[in-house]
Amino acid sequence: MNIYSYVLRRLLYMIPVLLGVCLIIFVLFNLVAPDPAFILLGKHATQIQIDQLHHELGLDRSFVAQYIDIVKSAFTFDFGYSWATKQNILEMIKNGAGPSLSITAPLFVISNIVAISLALLVAFYRGKFIDKFMLVFSIAGMSIPSLAVVLFGQWFFGYKLGWFEISGYERGFPEFVPYVILPVILYTFISFGGDTRFYRTVILDEVYQDYIRTARSKGLNEVVIMFKHVLKNSMIPILTNIIIQIPFLILGLLFAESFFSIPGLGAMIINAINNSDFPVIKAMTIISAIGFMVFQIITDVAYTMVDPRMRLK
Amino acid sequence: MKMRNILFMVIGSLLLVVGCAKKHDANERVLNLVSPAEIKGFDPIQADDLYSGREISKIYEGLLHYHWLKVPYELEPNLAESMPEISKDGLTYTFKILKGVKFQDDAAFPGGKGREVEAADFVYSIKRLADAKTVSTGWWVLDGKIKGLNEWRDKNAKLPTTNYDEEVEGVKALDKYTLQFRLAKINPQFIYSLAMPFTYVVAKEVVAKYGKEFINHPVGTGPYILPLFDQGKQITYTKNPTFREKFYPKDASPELQRLLADAGKKLPLVEKIVVHIIKEDQPRWLKFNKGEVDITSVPKDNFATAIKNNKLSEELLNKGIVLEITPGLDVTYTAFNMENKLFHNKKLRQAMYAAFDNPKDNQLFYNNTAFPAQSIIPPGVAGNDPKYINPFKGPNLELAKKLLAEAGYPNGKGLPELKYDIPDSTTSRQGGEFFQKQMEQIGVKIKIVTSPWPEFQAKVKKKAVEIYGLAWMADYPDAENFLQLFYGPNKSPGANGSNYDNPEFNKQFEDAVSMQDSPARTAKYEKLNKFLAEEVVALFGLHRQAYTLEQGWLKNYHNSDFSHDYVQYLNVDNAKKAELLKKF
Repeated sequence: MNIYSYVLRRLLYMIPVLLGVCLIIFVLFNLVAPDPAFILLGKHATQIQIDQLHHELGLDRSFVAQYIDIVKSAFTFDFGYSWATKQNILEMIKNGAGPSLSITAPLFVISNIVAISLALLVAFYRGKFIDKFMLVFSIAGMSIPSLAVVLFGQWFFGYKLGWFEISGYERGFPEFVPYVILPVILYTFISFGGDTRFYRTVILDEVYQDYIRTARSKGLNEVVIMFKHVLKNSMIPILTNIIIQIPFLILGLLFAESFFSIPGLGAMIINAINNSDFPVIKAMTIISAIGFMVFQIITDVAYTMVDPRMRLK
Repeated sequence: MKMRNILFMVIGSLLLVVGCAKKHDANERVLNLVSPAEIKGFDPIQADDLYSGREISKIYEGLLHYHWLKVPYELEPNLAESMPEISKDGLTYTFKILKGVKFQDDAAFPGGKGREVEAADFVYSIKRLADAKTVSTGWWVLDGKIKGLNEWRDKNAKLPTTNYDEEVEGVKALDKYTLQFRLAKINPQFIYSLAMPFTYVVAKEVVAKYGKEFINHPVGTGPYILPLFDQGKQITYTKNPTFREKFYPKDASPELQRLLADAGKKLPLVEKIVVHIIKEDQPRWLKFNKGEVDITSVPKDNFATAIKNNKLSEELLNKGIVLEITPGLDVTYTAFNMENKLFHNKKLRQAMYAAFDNPKDNQLFYNNTAFPAQSIIPPGVAGNDPKYINPFKGPNLELAKKLLAEAGYPNGKGLPELKYDIPDSTTSRQGGEFFQKQMEQIGVKIKIVTSPWPEFQAKVKKKAVEIYGLAWMADYPDAENFLQLFYGPNKSPGANGSNYDNPEFNKQFEDAVSMQDSPARTAKYEKLNKFLAEEVVALFGLHRQAYTLEQGWLKNYHNSDFSHDYVQYLNVDNAKKAELLKKF
């Protein structure tokens, strides 16, 4: 199938999925979430004020009208204003996306390079000391709670040694750089264990294939075998794992942003949940859903590029 | 070149570029402050939390404010020329406003130059607060207080656009500099609302220019300016070049005489303020200990190492850090939902109060820093009798058991399991478990129910709780603000979450709050306070104290619950800072 037709068809499939996402958001908000008026009006709220607020927020309209509003915002990206902060949500997202990406993008690149390189290394030296050492190190990295890593990192590298900023953020390049180095280093450590173990398994699956044995018997250099044959043929699960992380980069790191005072989208989502700020929760859910679906399409297309045996249907 | 060397070079170059980008004037006095919560924006009518109120007060001002160096709290004119003239019937308040006060320069004004503030601006600002379409969180401060304002609000709520030109009987500009309020009923507490950020003055043309984005374009009359709020984690204010001639106070209460070194100097005293928004305790604490922040509270987990017997640790003292302990105007309490007939049994409430070990609660959760609350009105507010001891306050297990038997539940027999609602934070959960254990001692079974904060609030407002724990911080220093928590007409969803409704108390409360501040009113407040205490309408817990640490180079600071505009009085000694920083 032509790649353009395939992409177009998949994009059309997104419409019913998006309508479903809107329905779930609507049901969750109307049936499960507490009335935002109690949070927004604070401790002195009266019933008249609550009724007036419901009217101003459009919560006294019919369910159908409210659902249509959600659908409309999903297709126009006009998410309106935050109930809690009274800010324009699209502006909030624009303001928060940069800081979030300034941590997640380098973290994504560095942690994947580190994890894949280490996975190749330990796969190459499988069963040897370095493999066993990395196994213990990875499991330690996976076992230590991320909170402990962050608390220790801030105290030791930021306060005791004074190498990095403890927390904070300044907008613009290069002002933001000193503030993101520590979180990127700490989160690389936090994430490398799981990723390395995963990539090692994927690579080892290939290492024991017949064609690798054939390559060896032909006398090919081990480095060439690892990079040209093993890595290339391991790319499908590696790519899946990598690309699927991309739409979530913009969402930032919920916990880290709060701890390092990064004004990103992760912190914004936490605040929105704490304040029953439905328009913000709605916007972020819709954006995440769209991002996830778009990158699934990209993943499928990328498969055909790295593996000529793959066909789009 | 090795990979490691390349990496170091890259990081080194980046840090060099950043280092070059940061240039500071060595003589510039900069305050580094912290906000432990997000700032919602810069619209005064939405300033419903302490931290947003403090930021807004750097830029906007109101008619009145609290004297910086007077304790107990004392109102004084700010944008008003003097305190208002109050009519004999107590219903009319007439203000003369200061002449020559200018709004900060902004593109919303002709030629970008801020114009003079007029009485009509206050009328507009009050109406804006009352406008249902602005969905203000501060309407409660004026609700039912100003003649004709509620009618104006209700009428305009139904119209597609609000008519600001329509006159309201209770708020009028008599001329360019005279503002008059007419109250719907006698309400001496009204005057406090004029010192709250909700009623700060805004310019109509600025609101019109920025529309919904007004919240990010603050233009006030205050000592500092902020061209644009970008919702970041660092807010940088600079001195307002057109700020009026305002001077540091020359008089102070005896306790604050030590802060008169800058008396008579033109305000504000520092050129720049940087506010760091840091929600987590550890980074806030570490930044203070590194000298990057000038004031901080002491996190619960660091308290034991930082402060012993109300004195600072050696390490902090050596850095020149100063500790200030200030009683806060607040109370923690466990409330009963009186809609549940079970709690109409006064002996049961008294038994539970007697069973609760308040000193242990203070030790476990507040490092023994709080005062046991005998009643709801905190010390420092007229109506609190410092000598009063509540006869039912625990721990007194013998009394508790006796009262429980008299209530008809000897050793808890026949009493159903009671639900105790709390927010789902770790500390609240621990507090809930402590309460559960205390009640177990007399046979009262408690089931802890945790909910996320929004849901917890919703349950209280919907009367869907049995017992719940809460704290109340004063909105203004008047006992009315505490006693109204048990005033019948304020029942949920109002502030009276316990839904206590006693006609006799309601009547006495109405009488007291309509009186002007006087010994007679204080006597009435004291009587009402003791009545609630012995009725045990709630289990009054503690009055907390603020433990604040200040850097040695900071001048003129003291902790205040209501002086939101305090930063204009603060000063920084740069020479001392350079010297002390060597010890960090």
